[in-house]
Amino acid sequence: MKKIILVTLAILPVAAVSAQEATPVASSSPTPAVSNSTPATAADVDALRQQVQSLTETVKALQQQVKDQQAALQKANLTGESGLPQNPEPSPIAAAETPPAPGASAPSSFPTEDTSVVSSTTAPPVSGTPAPGGFPTTDTSVVTSAAPETISSTGAGASLTQPITIGGGKNYMNISLDGLFALAYSSAKDLDHIEVGDHDPQQRGFNARNIELAFDGAVDPYFEGFANIVFKLDNDNETDVEVEEAFMQTTSLPFNLQLKAGQFFAAFGRLNPTHPHTWDFADTPLVNGLFLGPDGLRGVGAQTSWTLPLPWYSQLIFASQNGRGSTGFSFRNPGDDGMFFDRITTDREARGLQDFVWIPRWENSVDLSPTQVVLAGVSGAFGSNETGANSRTQIYGADLLYKWKSSHAEGGFPFVKWQTEFMYRRFQAGRGADESFPVAETFHDWGMYSQVLWGFRKGWVAGIRGDYVDMQDSNFTDDLDRQSRWRISANLTWYPTEFSKIRLQYNQDFLEENFFLSGRQVESVFLQWEFILGAHGAHKF
Amino acid sequence: MKRILLLLAAIPACSFSAHAKINVVATLPDFGSLAREIGGDKINLVVLAKATEDPHFVDARPSFVVSLRNADVLIDGGAELELGWLPPLLQNARNPKIEIGKPGRVQASQGIRLMNVPANVTRAAGDVHALGNPHFTVDPIIAKAIAQHIAQSFSALDPADAAFYEANYKKFEATINAKLQEWGAAMSPFKGQQVVAYHDSWPYFAHRFGVNIDIFLEPKPGIPPSPSHLTEVIAQMKAQKVKAIIVEPFHDRRIAEKVASATGAKVVEFSQFPGGLPGTDSYVKLIDTLVSRLAAALK
Repeated sequence: MKKIILVTLAILPVAAVSAQEATPVASSSPTPAVSNSTPATAADVDALRQQVQSLTETVKALQQQVKDQQAALQKANLTGESGLPQNPEPSPIAAAETPPAPGASAPSSFPTEDTSVVSSTTAPPVSGTPAPGGFPTTDTSVVTSAAPETISSTGAGASLTQPITIGGGKNYMNISLDGLFALAYSSAKDLDHIEVGDHDPQQRGFNARNIELAFDGAVDPYFEGFANIVFKLDNDNETDVEVEEAFMQTTSLPFNLQLKAGQFFAAFGRLNPTHPHTWDFADTPLVNGLFLGPDGLRGVGAQTSWTLPLPWYSQLIFASQNGRGSTGFSFRNPGDDGMFFDRITTDREARGLQDFVWIPRWENSVDLSPTQVVLAGVSGAFGSNETGANSRTQIYGADLLYKWKSSHAEGGFPFVKWQTEFMYRRFQAGRGADESFPVAETFHDWGMYSQVLWGFRKGWVAGIRGDYVDMQDSNFTDDLDRQSRWRISANLTWYPTEFSKIRLQYNQDFLEENFFLSGRQVESVFLQWEFILGAHGAHKF
Repeated sequence: MKRILLLLAAIPACSFSAHAKINVVATLPDFGSLAREIGGDKINLVVLAKATEDPHFVDARPSFVVSLRNADVLIDGGAELELGWLPPLLQNARNPKIEIGKPGRVQASQGIRLMNVPANVTRAAGDVHALGNPHFTVDPIIAKAIAQHIAQSFSALDPADAAFYEANYKKFEATINAKLQEWGAAMSPFKGQQVVAYHDSWPYFAHRFGVNIDIFLEPKPGIPPSPSHLTEVIAQMKAQKVKAIIVEPFHDRRIAEKVASATGAKVVEFSQFPGGLPGTDSYVKLIDTLVSRLAAALK
């Protein structure tokens, strides 16, 4: 738009001036026309000479004017848009402009019809000096008007000729929509008890448990913002809405520090902070669902992280969240119908700092070789729970990731990825809000999962996972969530592109007998499919 | 305990000695190679992607975060080629020195008019880059422009050695200008010839050296070759008497071999990146190799 105005402004005065100047030229023209029939006299020749002179001057004046206008235009363009931080001269424009071959003198040696390369006779053949007169080239590969303007702080530069696109780095916010669905079969009628995650298949038949809107972008030079709004259909096809995450984080704190505040997933272990559509299996591992909760451990809070100034990757993360409700599952969770582990829960306001959940994590990573990476972390989550006045919960976690990826990988394949997480939970179960439960107990529960994914060819991944959870026996509660159990899963996933996937998974569940519950074995098969629209979700490691 | 203390003592020492050299991170080996031409031994260079792997899909390794955190200069393409892995790394690196707009950030596509900018951005067309084709460094004239950008960045950050960087740029420019004669002469007999490529990585190379590379084994960018598409490609190749199929180190060579045996064409291993082929540890050697390989196949 700016350009158009400038060009218009440049043209108008030129047109006006040329119109004015044209007048005297026209008025003087009848003279030679009249004298055409008569033989040429000295006076005639003089008149003609004068006329030619005046015309020449007019043309010169016009040329000068046009030149001035062009120079002004050029200047305006360059100064207005140059994003080059320093020393714009000699500009890359000139470098790109410079003919690589002395096209005029040796036309046969370099076979190009590139006008910028061949036909430019004004520029010196081979040098770094700027070619005069800007860039009158049509070579689409080389030309350059100015530095690309950028809007997103993390996105790529955009060219000025681009239309506004969603996800193309030309807008203030990236938007994407992800739909994750499953068709489920299970030998158990109560699939919602067998599957422990809220986004896992919950009933026989079709399931739509994770339709996710994601937004992200730079807020200003100091913050980035993220939000994930999840819609899910319950077993009666009613729509539930979750603000899964919505937070801002700093981008430019010194000393490698970062602050984050809002609603977010706790950085506990590998899987908890990630969204279901990035998972390698169709369902949550048992230990994640039963210790951190069906929705994962997340909540409103604040987090600070610091990458240590060490030669390898080492990061300390420390968060505090309310830990209240079902997303603070083992913490201040009133439970279904006001009961948790059969205790009547207190569901109280925070009394002090001890009622928040405190979540530290330390993770380290090294490259074993150019094709192998290891990442190991330890996490903790400490807070109080609602089963008694002074009941507390501690969860400790350790995780390990090993990945090999071929040095000749295409589309990220082939690869082998091994991921294991271990958790231990100490849960002080009180006697309930009214002390009605017969005993107070302390449960020592532990669990783990280990999975191997093998991307054996582009777009194809085979996976196998083992799950185990050991719940300490209690003679006082028949809570279904306190049954020790294990699971073995195998799956095959096809990613037609990184924006879609189709997955077939087989689960074999073994629920161990305890004082109240009988043992049983369950088989399930899931067919899962997914699509992603909009911004390209970058892949975190 | 003593060891830890030693280690802690070593940290400031490391950062102090870093003053002497510029820490440069290049996302891709081609940018790395140009940085080396300009920076010589006055830079510490870390290249993130491997020369033999698909540059669209590089793992965002945590160790890259450390490299980016310590970087004085980051050279990236700026044309969405690294979109799948660079943004989370930058987010974690939290390094203001390499923010867009700072002298420490060189976006190679800056000032380059990209080819094949799609009029409509739709993923139905495959893995299309909204800003245009990002595989531009294989055009030596563009490489010169990038090298100049790099020289400007280095000079801004290390004014004491500005003359050194400028001289290296001049040297590189002169080499490329001279080499262009040679490459042009080698390729001139094959002007207008059709060449088939596995992936659409070569429009800039084709443009510069006068060959046509617009038939691809992939039916759409990033989509694996399908039998029906290959049948079509084979028919086209026979009709146009195509002599060469370009594959990159990470492509499935067997597919190209099959097509080659059905058409009598030769499979030519190409790479966008110095180091992707044997004996190509510099940019000039890479283009030398590409030109001589292609010329040999087209003879």
